[in-house]
Amino acid sequence: MNHQDYAHPEALVSTEWVAAHLDDPSIRIVESNEDVLLYDTGHLPGAVHIDWRSDLQDQVVRDYITPSEFAEVCSKNGIGPDTTCVFYGDKSNWWSCYALWVFRLFGHQNVKIMNGGRDKWVAEGRPLTREKPAWPRADYPVPPMRRDAEIRAFYEDTKKHGEDGLPLIDVRSPGEFRGEITHMPEYPQEGVLRGGHVPSARSVPWKTAVNDDATFKSREELEKIYTQGCGLSPEKDIIAYCRIGERSSHTWFVLTYLLGYHKVRNYDGSWTEWGNRVRSPIACGE
Amino acid sequence: MSYPAKLQQIIDLFEALPDEEKRETLIAYADQAAAQRPREGETFALEDSRKDEECTDTVGVFLAVDADRKVRFRINLGPQVQTLTRAMTAILCKGFDGASIEEVMEVPADFVPRIVGAQLVRQRSQTVYYILTRMKSACKVWLNRERAARVD
Repeated sequence: MNHQDYAHPEALVSTEWVAAHLDDPSIRIVESNEDVLLYDTGHLPGAVHIDWRSDLQDQVVRDYITPSEFAEVCSKNGIGPDTTCVFYGDKSNWWSCYALWVFRLFGHQNVKIMNGGRDKWVAEGRPLTREKPAWPRADYPVPPMRRDAEIRAFYEDTKKHGEDGLPLIDVRSPGEFRGEITHMPEYPQEGVLRGGHVPSARSVPWKTAVNDDATFKSREELEKIYTQGCGLSPEKDIIAYCRIGERSSHTWFVLTYLLGYHKVRNYDGSWTEWGNRVRSPIACGE
Repeated sequence: MSYPAKLQQIIDLFEALPDEEKRETLIAYADQAAAQRPREGETFALEDSRKDEECTDTVGVFLAVDADRKVRFRINLGPQVQTLTRAMTAILCKGFDGASIEEVMEVPADFVPRIVGAQLVRQRSQTVYYILTRMKSACKVWLNRERAARVD
């Protein structure tokens, strides 16, 4: 697949590219997964593990870590402010997109996704190791702020966005959108009281953006889905949400980097906040 | 609450381990999950295979019950099943081996964080409970069939 057609081709690299850059000291390969032990079973040689929960989230408040904590996460993993971070992971890169999005919250510039994620690397018979890397500690300066206002949406933002008739994208499965289920099929309940979606939201499941091998669809195919199919365009102010913000990070990456939309925000509170919140309105069905 | 003897031994082992070794032991158990698949020539009283379309994968539960009502489980996991769930599969197959149907039915789920550690039982790793639920469901179906056969 030719990545050059995407709006920001530099943000997406192939497994071949990663294989050729495993020993490049200016690059850090970062694995982020849903499967909490997957990295320990084997990972790309030299890859570090950044966990969406224990590394990137505050352990007391439902929020992300502070700028100083982010600087420490980076420093201990040998990531400096100029390091190029190449993210990959399980679940079609849900959590690697999530980690990339959090890195962007702190203004880290050089970020890429490995197209196809961990499954593609494994399917191609490329090497994995259980040896944990020992990169020299870096000195990451504390970012001046977390850029919440630019790429993150909160409940009140999302509510106003919907009321103003601006594009709101629900990327969950159709059954979750319609309110028929309050959890992913045969998965345990993740603590939400009501099923349905944010009023005025449009259902565009994250999965529509990927091929069977978890690689992203071509720009032409993505434009058919999002630009022609949903009427979205680069200038529009768009909010995406899912259940806890990981699948919508995937869509955020597609819209921002592959299609070049300028103002896309991820509502990470997502349905676990909206569906539970007192006095929040919901809609059900199509 | 008492657990089946073999499961109690595994719980005791994990509780004695520091976190890092606990993690390594879980990986070792996860590596053994493939050995819990049904083997050539084995027969079962009950087979239950189901697939979760969005997140996990096929999980097949195979239950054999001997004349003394002692159980033997085999479990077949699809390739996308999480590592923690694989580890729990091997732990439960070994821990329940030779237990009675009733013992399995009565096992509370509170041993899971004692094995896994509170840090790893969290959102999106809750499928660690899934295998236990499926095994208990298989036992319940077997018991219902047994009761129905008695009535007949």
